[in-house]
Amino acid sequence: MLVGLWLITGGAAAGLFGSLLGLGGGVLIVPLLTLVFNLPLLTAVGVSLVCVIVTSGASAGVFLERHVANLRLGMTLELFTATGALLGGLVAFLLPEKALEILFSGLLIYTSITMLRRGRAAGGPEEETVVDEEEPGEDQFFDASLSGPTYRVKRVPAGALGSVGAGVVSALLGIGGGIVKVPVMHLVMGVPLRVATATSNLMMGITASAGAIVYLSRGLIDPFVTAPTALGVFVGASIGSRVAHRIDVRILRALFVAILLYTAFQMLLRAFS
Amino acid sequence: MTAGPHRSPGADLDRTVGRLLTIGTNAAVLLLAIGCVLLFAYRLDPLAGGPPLEPGLIIDDITHLQPAGFIWLGLLVLLATPVMRVVVSLRGFIIRGERTMSIVAALILVVIALSIVLGHAES
Repeated sequence: MLVGLWLITGGAAAGLFGSLLGLGGGVLIVPLLTLVFNLPLLTAVGVSLVCVIVTSGASAGVFLERHVANLRLGMTLELFTATGALLGGLVAFLLPEKALEILFSGLLIYTSITMLRRGRAAGGPEEETVVDEEEPGEDQFFDASLSGPTYRVKRVPAGALGSVGAGVVSALLGIGGGIVKVPVMHLVMGVPLRVATATSNLMMGITASAGAIVYLSRGLIDPFVTAPTALGVFVGASIGSRVAHRIDVRILRALFVAILLYTAFQMLLRAFS
Repeated sequence: MTAGPHRSPGADLDRTVGRLLTIGTNAAVLLLAIGCVLLFAYRLDPLAGGPPLEPGLIIDDITHLQPAGFIWLGLLVLLATPVMRVVVSLRGFIIRGERTMSIVAALILVVIALSIVLGHAES
């Protein structure tokens, strides 16, 4: 019972941190399960993908009802993230576990750098509307149909390519892929940051499902580890979304970066031991 | 320009799909929570490894208050929720005559079907 309670607590911490800092919990759940509970990496990735679906389902429904997430844009891109996730799910079983651990360490370091940059940018005014002076491209349908009332979506093919990459990373490493999708949507496709974050959250559900189905088929989703962890993530993410506006995330972000870098170091040690 | 996602008919679809996601996720989490309570009640060690998915046993496990039945049903509901979201969106796009988005939604379902087929084929 004690182990179950620790899994719930760990999941809750991952869900809480994730929702306060705008990340899925996957980047914390995989190290938690491998380094603390000593589970094989692929089992941890399977559990984490389920947790990503929980996080997405809990928040994306609200984002859609409030019309923050862009359903059409999300569905167009998730065709590519799901394809990437299918490929990533199949490739994951061909790679040695050490290679995945090194990749995951790289992801943690990349996430740390992204968080630090986001921290510096947080002092400036938040961009809500992207004014696009470019003429619409040849792809008139996507330009028009996927755009919102205050922004126009551009460079859909480049966004699709980035989405395939996000899907591969998601299924290989058990994360939501927001760390790739949000910059692609915001910086490449001209989607406002708030819409990009909410749409990425919506897309995580299908992306993680495509990957999780492959893991489930291979018997790599352990129900007794998954249930308490996912329950914890749900509770943590729910609390996080309610208290997020009351918390100064600057100290939290610094702490999070320190945890990520320490975890990357531990993961590298494990890979090379 | 055609209608963006924030205009009225699209807003209705957003609301329907949003509600489906919330209800599906909450139902799945409730089943997982019941499974966890039973897991603790029977003093099972989560790290000892749970039973594999056997769809035919789920109802039997639930009627016998076994944690695996509730947990597997919860996980299946959870995995099915985003897929159902695509199915409901596909229906909405077809009703609205949005051909391209209908094709996109149908292709997502094809990818999910491929995940099931290839996942089993390679295992």
